[in-house]
Amino acid sequence: MAVAEKTPDVAAAPAATRRRRSFKPRYPAWLTVPSLLYYTVFFLGPMAILVAFSLATQQGFGSLKYGFDTSQYHQIASPLYLSIFERTLVMAGLGTVLAIAVGYPVAYWMARYLSTYKMLALLLIVVPFWTSFLIRTYALKIILDPHGYLAKDVGINILYTKYAVAVGLVYNYLPLFILPVFASLERMDWTLIEAATDLGARPFTAFREITLRLTLPGVVTGALLVFIPMTGEYIIPNILGGGNYEFVGNVIGDQFNQAQNQPFGSALSIGLMLALSVFVIAYILVATKEEQFGA
Amino acid sequence: MNTDHDRLNILAPRAIKPKFDYLHREVQRAAGRPLTRRQALGLGGMALFAAACSSTATTQSGTSSSSSSGSANALAGKPLENHLEIYNWSEYDDPSTFTKFKKLPAEAQAGMTVHETFYSSNDELLAKLHAGGTSYDIIVPSQNAVAELVQENSLMRLDKALLPNLKNLDPSFLKPSYDPTGEYHIIKDFGITMFFFNNKIVTDELKTMHDFYMALPNHVSKGRTNLLDGAEEVVPLALMALGLDPNTTSESDFNQVKSFLLSIRKGVTTIDSSAYIDDAIAGKIILSQGWNGDVRRIVQGRAKQKDITAIIPNEASEIWADNWCIPASAPHPVAAHAWINWLLTPSTAVTEMNYHNYKIPMPSALDQLSSDLKNDPMFNVPKSYTDNYHYILNVSPQVVEARTQIYSEFKAA
Repeated sequence: MAVAEKTPDVAAAPAATRRRRSFKPRYPAWLTVPSLLYYTVFFLGPMAILVAFSLATQQGFGSLKYGFDTSQYHQIASPLYLSIFERTLVMAGLGTVLAIAVGYPVAYWMARYLSTYKMLALLLIVVPFWTSFLIRTYALKIILDPHGYLAKDVGINILYTKYAVAVGLVYNYLPLFILPVFASLERMDWTLIEAATDLGARPFTAFREITLRLTLPGVVTGALLVFIPMTGEYIIPNILGGGNYEFVGNVIGDQFNQAQNQPFGSALSIGLMLALSVFVIAYILVATKEEQFGA
Repeated sequence: MNTDHDRLNILAPRAIKPKFDYLHREVQRAAGRPLTRRQALGLGGMALFAAACSSTATTQSGTSSSSSSGSANALAGKPLENHLEIYNWSEYDDPSTFTKFKKLPAEAQAGMTVHETFYSSNDELLAKLHAGGTSYDIIVPSQNAVAELVQENSLMRLDKALLPNLKNLDPSFLKPSYDPTGEYHIIKDFGITMFFFNNKIVTDELKTMHDFYMALPNHVSKGRTNLLDGAEEVVPLALMALGLDPNTTSESDFNQVKSFLLSIRKGVTTIDSSAYIDDAIAGKIILSQGWNGDVRRIVQGRAKQKDITAIIPNEASEIWADNWCIPASAPHPVAAHAWINWLLTPSTAVTEMNYHNYKIPMPSALDQLSSDLKNDPMFNVPKSYTDNYHYILNVSPQVVEARTQIYSEFKAA
């Protein structure tokens, strides 16, 4: 609440003092109570349960003794689980880099080269999202099938390997990357490029110094938007990896569904969240920078 | 009437006891003379009680309860309730089994209604029961879930007096390792874990689970090989292949099975137990484990190509069973017993087996099956095989954890 009241002050600071009044929030703060309640019950609540689970001790099947047992967290530090964490983060990182490599040119092409069909192209990017994630992954499995054209005629036989997992990650999350990058490219003032060229910059220099810099916040947003869900991925490694290249998500699933070990499964979830928060903090830093420079 | 007048078994929540005691005192006062609890309640206490808590729909009529049968549940002589709540795996019973049950004389007279909801895994069932607040009369847990529920005292001891058709079952299936006293479950049907291969590609003579595992690394380059998924499959099946107890708690057994599994890891293309049926029917799998009902479907699906050989392993393998159980909190226990007894009728068992194609160990029903089903060893698994097979149980959280650890390492390798 304090923040909500303060922000307009800062924004109003350069303006004349008499205008300050009109920047005060017009509606009473308690109107946010329903949203805050929702957030508390359905977001903070489960988080609290997860933390309580992770510190509990397993006592027989399906029953927990709540306490402050940190042994689950020590278990994560074993080589087996650390290697699974590493594999997850590396694979998600690779998937993000590939999404940038594939997605940026597409977004650039859409923003710069298309005019009449721009919206149609955007629609085609978004349309796969109307289909269930699971079905899209199964569809990909058919394309990658060892008996399919790709394997038989092109010679790319990668189903049930980490390469299939990487392809699945890029394919499924690509739209999430393209959209924010497209939005920032759309806002670009292309006369800047014109000016740069007039001043003697080569096309690539102009791109690197102007376009890339101005769209960097969009790229960072897009990258985090795909990186974070990729690290939590469960379905893609399961279906396309055939049990050969599993993520932390799959191990967590096994702990809950098979071992009935909620404490360890919860500790793994929290470990993953902590590992991810590093990247979210980086995002917040970049995002605040964007506001400062008013891009 | 019975000599022990003060022993009264009423199926009601424990919290109701003070109310009963109060009722007992009130009725005694009204009658002006000491009465036993049985008489007091019998004398119309129930009327007062019903008025006192008319909203408690699950309250049983206590008037006719009797302890003369000697059973812990004292269900004998209790009237049949008019509803049955079943929590089951989906598509696991013939629709006519339900309609005919409701039309049985006693059930029709009681105006029986049956409602069924479904779960897709034992974990889902256990989680629901652990969460509490359920009012199921019939559940269908697999062997490991039965053992767990018995340990937790969550199951009702069955009143065998209400199950006269129990005599139809093969007696060797009445007291299995997962319920040694046989008091909490009635077997619904059972199956085994076997393996199959493409006989155009794999030409070795494979007879045991151990043969299967050893064949994996030799053939993986020729096509997709598959293991059944899950810590409770991967580890105990390998233990059995090594001739060890699938339910072992021994550290050295676990170490042995771990190095064995890691040694054949390179021979495994996929670890999957859901998509393998369709993939195998499409001819994509050359060597895989499978459950007998699934393998039967695969062999039928490849009947034209005739390239699948199915092997029921010699020596040890898994036998699994799904079971009829009644939760301790079941609101309609008499109806639940009536249901189980109905399913133990040979004619019902025949209908059921024709529907779900899993074997019910009931000789008189098996005799009535068509010869192609009866003579198919993948359906009617000969006793000579199953005698060597073992139920896989969730022995303790520690054992499950040890299995999961090996399973995770196996998959990550």
